[in-house]
This record gives sequence, C-alpha cells and structure tokens, in this order.
Amino acid sequence: MIDKIYSYIKDKRHTNIFFTVLGALIFAIIPLFTDVEASYLIYFLFLTFIHIVIAQGWNLIAGYAGQISLGQNAFFGLGAYTTALIWLHDITKTGYYFDPVVMILSGLAPVVLAIIIGIPLLSRLRGDYFAFGTLGIGQIIIVVFLKARAITGGADGLHIPSTVYESMMPYYYTGLLLALFAIAVVYFITRSRIGFALRAIREDEMSAASHGVFILKYKVLAFAVGAFLAGIAGSLYAYYLFHINPDSVLNMNWLFYPILMCVLGGTGTIMGPVIGAFFMTAIFSFGDVYFAQTHPIVSGVLIILVMKFMPTGIIGLKDRILSRGK
Amino acid sequence: MANQLLEVKSVDVFYGDVQALWEVSIQVEEGTIVALVGANGAGKTTLLKTISGINSAARGEILFSGEHLENLKPQNVVDRGIMHVPEGRRLFANLTVLENLRLGAYVPRARPFFAESLERSFTLFPVLQTRKNQKAGSLSGGEQQMLAIARALMGRPKLLMLDEPSLGLSPIFVKTIFELISTLNEQKATILLVEQNINQALKIAHQAYVLKTGKIVMSGAGNELLADEEIRKAYIGERVGRRQR
Amino acid sequence: MNLILTLRVLVNGVLFGTTYGIAAVGLSLIFGTMRIIFFAQGTFIIFFAYISYWLLTLLGIDPYLSLIIVIPASMLLGSALYYGIFKEAAANEDKNISLLLAIGLMYLMENFMLVVWTPDPRSVVTSYTTLVFRPFGIVIPFTRLTTLFIAVLTAAGVFIFLKKTLIGTAVRAASEDVVSTTLMGINPNWVNAVAFAIGIGLAGVAGVALATIYPFDPSYGFIFAIKALIALALGGIGNVYGALLGGILLGLIESLGSFYVGGGWADAISYGVFLLVLIFRPQGLFGGSIKKA
Repeated sequence: MIDKIYSYIKDKRHTNIFFTVLGALIFAIIPLFTDVEASYLIYFLFLTFIHIVIAQGWNLIAGYAGQISLGQNAFFGLGAYTTALIWLHDITKTGYYFDPVVMILSGLAPVVLAIIIGIPLLSRLRGDYFAFGTLGIGQIIIVVFLKARAITGGADGLHIPSTVYESMMPYYYTGLLLALFAIAVVYFITRSRIGFALRAIREDEMSAASHGVFILKYKVLAFAVGAFLAGIAGSLYAYYLFHINPDSVLNMNWLFYPILMCVLGGTGTIMGPVIGAFFMTAIFSFGDVYFAQTHPIVSGVLIILVMKFMPTGIIGLKDRILSRGK
Repeated sequence: MANQLLEVKSVDVFYGDVQALWEVSIQVEEGTIVALVGANGAGKTTLLKTISGINSAARGEILFSGEHLENLKPQNVVDRGIMHVPEGRRLFANLTVLENLRLGAYVPRARPFFAESLERSFTLFPVLQTRKNQKAGSLSGGEQQMLAIARALMGRPKLLMLDEPSLGLSPIFVKTIFELISTLNEQKATILLVEQNINQALKIAHQAYVLKTGKIVMSGAGNELLADEEIRKAYIGERVGRRQR
Repeated sequence: MNLILTLRVLVNGVLFGTTYGIAAVGLSLIFGTMRIIFFAQGTFIIFFAYISYWLLTLLGIDPYLSLIIVIPASMLLGSALYYGIFKEAAANEDKNISLLLAIGLMYLMENFMLVVWTPDPRSVVTSYTTLVFRPFGIVIPFTRLTTLFIAVLTAAGVFIFLKKTLIGTAVRAASEDVVSTTLMGINPNWVNAVAFAIGIGLAGVAGVALATIYPFDPSYGFIFAIKALIALALGGIGNVYGALLGGILLGLIESLGSFYVGGGWADAISYGVFLLVLIFRPQGLFGGSIKKA
C-alpha cells in the first residue's frame, strides 16, 4: 500500500497534486493550533495567499503564453475598487462582507478591461511592445482613478466601515481557497488544449498560427484569466485594507511582486509562483520586522542575483542540480 | 601531404536534441577552392557556422593553420583570418556601402591596411565605388552580394567562406559571381564554398564534399564528381539535371 | 496676449522635452544593441540628480561644472553595469531575462535612494536658479535654456560619435544585426558596453539638467523612465535620431496638455498618444528606416 502511494507520488504528474493537497491540509489546520487574531504567522500566510493568486495570474500570461504584462497592478486595483464601490453603494443588496458574488464581480471587472484592451494590444503588439502597451494602460488607469474623484475619492480613496471586522479567520480561509483556486485554474488550463496552444504560441507564434491556432483568442483568454486572478486578489485585499486608494492598491509593487515571485520560483511552472510567493513574502515580512526601510533594496538585489545566476528560478535550479547528478 | 589550411575532424553538432552534423571531416588546402554541396538541410550552412564559431561543436576538432578553433567565439575566429559571408548576405542595410566596408576591416589585423584593401575592392567591384555613399539596403541583389564579398575581403582573410553566394541572383550575376570566385582564387585566395548550384560549383572547385543529412557521403576532385553520373544521381539528386537545362 | 501665452507654453514644452529626448537617446542606444528597454534609465537619471545635489551641497561644486565629473563617472558605471550584470543575459536568447534584470535594478536603485535621500523632494538651488529671460514677453528661465543647450550639445556629440568613429559605426551595425557584426570580428560585449556607457552617460547629463530645473524625489525615476519610453516610441524604437525629436514632441504634448486640460490628465494624454503610436505606428512618427525581416 505504502509502496503504491509512493510510486503514485513519484510519478511526475502526481507530485504537484500531492504536494498541493498536502499543503492545503496543513494550512487548513494551522489556525486550530494558533491564536489567529494575534499571530503574525496567520497574517504572513494571508499575504502569501494573496501573492500566490496574483502571481499565478501573471504566470499564466507571461510564463505560459509568453506575453509580459506590466499592467497587473491596474487589474489588482480595479478589483479592489470594484469591491469597495459595490460595498459602499450596496449595489448587490447582499451581505457585502466576503460576499462571493462581490468577489466574482471584482474579478470580472478586470476581465472586461482585459478583453477591451487585450484585443487591440495583443493583436498588434509583440514582445516588448506588448509590455509597454500594458504599462501605458496601467498608468492611464491610475490617472483615471485619481481624477474620477466623484466616484473613487481621488488620491484619498474610499473608506469602508472597518467596524465589520471581527476576526482574521475568514480572511485566512478565503485566502487559502483563492490560492488553491488560482493554482487549480492555471493547472487545468495549462494541461488542456488551451495550455498546449499557449505553449505553442510562446515557442513560435508564426508556426503556431500556421498550424491553425487562433492566436489572438488564446492570448486574450490567458490575459483575461490573469486579470481575473489579479482582480479577486485585489478584492480580498480590499476587504482587509478597508481604505482603498491609488497608493495602496495601484502602486508599482503590485506590478513587480507577481513578476518577482514568478521569476524567483520559476516562471512557466505550476509550483514556481507558489514557492516564489512564500519566499518573497517571507523576505518582505522579515525585512518589515527587522529592517523596516531597507528591505526593498534586498528584493532588488535578489531579483538581479536570481536572474543572473539562476534565470530559470528555484524550480529550474532543482532541475539543474538533478541533471548535473545524472 | 600538401599544406592544409583548415582541417575539420569528426565534428558532431547539435541543435538542441537534434543532431545536425555527424562526424564530419573536411580539409581545405591552401590556395584551393573547396566546395560543399548537397541538398537543402544537409548541414552545409551548419558546418560553416560551426567553423566560424556561431554554432559550437559537441565533439571533434577544427584546426586552422594548426590552431584549435573549437572554443573560440566568432569574433576571435575572424581575428585568426577566417571571413564568413553568411547566407542571405546580412549586410547592414541602413549603413552606407563605405561603412559596411569599413566594418569589414574592423579586426586589428586588417585595420592598418584599410586604404589598400578598399582600393582593391573598388578595382574588383567598380560599381561599389560609384555607390559608396548609398545605403547598402538600396543596392540591387547582385550588388549586395558583391558588397558582401568585398566586405569580407576587407578583413584580409586567409580563408574565405561563402554561403550560397549565387542564391536569388539573376543568371548573369550568377556567372559574374563564379568568375569572381575563380579570379580571387587565381590571386591566391583559399575559398570554402557552399552552393546549391552544384554544376557551377563543382566546375571551379579543386576539391568537393557531398553532404547528405549531416554526413559526408563522398568527396573527391570537383571535376571527378561532376563526371560521375551514378554518384550524382544517387547523392546530389535530380536538382543537377534540372539546373543543367 | 493669448499668442504670447501659447508661445510660452510651446517654448517650455521644447525646453523640457529635450531632457526627455536625451534620456530617450540613451534608451534607444541600449535597445539597439541589447534589444531590451532599460527600465532603470529613469532611476539612474534621478540618481545622478542626487549626485549633482550632493556635489553642490557637500562640496560646493556648481551643477553644470559637475558634468565634468558626472559624465565620465556615469559612463564608467554604465560599462560596469553591463559587465557586472547584463553580460550573460545579453548572450541569452530569452530577452525577458534582461528585461527583468533591468526591472530588478530599477527597484534596487529606487529603494536605495529612498534610504539614502528619503522620499522628501530635493532641489538644486544656485544663484542663477531664479534667473529669467523675457524675450518678447516669453518667460524663459536660464536653467531651462542651459538645459536645451546642453542637450543639443550632448546629442550632437553622440550622433557624431555614432557617425564618425569606427566603434560608433559598429554600434549602429549591431543594432541592425548582431550576428553579422561578430562575423566582422566585432566583440558584441564591447559594443554593448559602449552602448551602456553612452546610455548611462546620457542619464548623467539628463540627471544634472533635471536637477537644476525641478525638485525631484526617488519615485520620480519610474515616471521618468516611462516618459523616456514614450519619447522613444514616438520617435521609433531603435531610431536614435528620432528619440530626441520624440522627447521634444512629448514635452510639447505635456506642456499643451497641462495648459489646456490640467496637470493629471496631461499624463493620461501622453500615455494615450503612446498607446496609439504603439498600436498604429510602431515604427514611430519619424520613421524612415529600412524595415528588416
């Protein structure tokens, strides 16, 4: 029996599933053994989950479809603002607090944006040019949010009544669920026909097109799913923050964090962004506690070191060590 | 044994997991024209790229005047005296004819002789002199090929490697190019020539190698191979017959 | 009165746009040989603005005089950056690695500056900061005029270098076809290092020029990088001469935009123009270069 389980796990196709399920179980029971309201660990894991969600979104676009998006902060921010606005104006007439409908809507708003901008950008721009295009879009979104004061509150932003806050519990479990959801979405997309098409596009767009792959459809799809994940991450973060403004949800960190995490863990792999999210969040948290101001410097140095010495990330490093051993 | 300028010994080359060359060995004697012939994808261009350091050999040796080239970067191979005119010419289209020629004489070995080399190029190709301030991209196909060869000659090569110099040219220019190669050879140039225009190439080559799917399948004097009907049919294929018309 | 006001807006646009222009020329050179947009360019501009600030406040060296130190130092830094960080990535086919290295460097530099110089805006104040000329009622600050002068001089210097020297010609050739330059015996590292040296050197010039005109803080670097990128796109990515014109054009757009529709929206307008150019005229507005396959 144990032999059977062992060989099942050793099969490469099952390793990821096994570790994800195992990880999920462990993380699901952690709150039973900790003081959820006071524990830094819970806060740390909550942040990590959010990072996993947004990082997987970028991973799908950049790692699998090969399109570097520099506009994830716009999708994240849009998700956060959508949640805040629905809440403040009581649009859905539901319970507002951790309302799945609100969260899904907060994911869909960026999807709409992603489709509207994705079709012209992805059909006309390749490589760097696409990256610049998304960067431009992200900047325009920031200006719009700053200027549409009547709706967004401008630079000050929106204040959500924080009196509803009761416990860290729902945040933790929602985060965990969303992280699992994001991993599963990317996992199943990349193992489907869509994933095959995306990889074909990444490797050689011309030849993919000549083999009848409708490139634009798949690229927009990846872009939209990435936007959805960024949006729901933003939504959850908005629930936690209670004060939504451009500085907190549209800032450059939300552009760089997912990139950083994917790159560090290994872009274009399922587990890479997860490993990267844990690692980077740990470094940020450690830095926040011990070197309040200097830790972003460390992050910068890390990106450079990683890209210079192990450009395929931690996952790639593992493969390299394994193949060296052969 | 005559003086071998270039010796390629049992070279294997891979593109990723795909093996492109299998134990390829050739020799180029000083002062001769050596032709590499074979069908598309036989590995001729790969061999040239391996000699000039763009591709690296997984196994085998490449000796140039007795010196190992296997681990040298392209720029260092040029420094040793090998100029490679790549397929498709790869001129700098936005640079003028003169600027292209100037870069041909970039290596320290050739730079002091720039004026001398330039004069020689203009004697060989008078048309380049009249167009020296035009952008290379504005030249006709034949003129571009001349410029590509002239640019390589500016580097004062001990070995000149030409990859498909007649490709895409009108029949008149094809004739001119082959005459030019013979002329250069009479002026003591050593030339390694890759051609799909097999008849013409074998006519002027002292020695020739036939490549098929990454392997040398036969070699011999150019006119011998040309005369051997059987061998031509077997290895070079019908292309020869078609071109003969 | 209205004419003079419009003229003033236009002149200011040109004067400020030249700073974008020299930054964009640097981006263009690095893009030409390395095929990456050097995102950290803007951050280095701010870095050199701080250096010029320090040279003034700590050593009392005039900002314009400091160029004598800043230019060689920045060029040295540029080539050191190439050999220290980008060399391996440049040889790699995957350009995303170089792009991410540049992003990492930007992140590092910005936060480094936040620690050393704090987020509070600084400005370089000299005896001539408030000096103003008023030809025909158009207000032209001395520092902006000097900036224009320096920018034109620098750009001319770079263009002459590219046109007249052998290594300059090699840099232009490499931006067309790197493999072909190695077949001429040109070391690609050397060419890349030269492009980096000039690129960061131009960041040095732009930084000093900027410091004399505007207050600056570390976060301004990213914005400046985007502005330089817009200037580059307007001029045609890879077109060194177009980059300078693109910068001036962007200066005009911003100046007119903020005059007629107000500060924040002016940015949105320049981003909008950027997107339109990227989508509909990726070769830039002044493109006349021969297309490559």
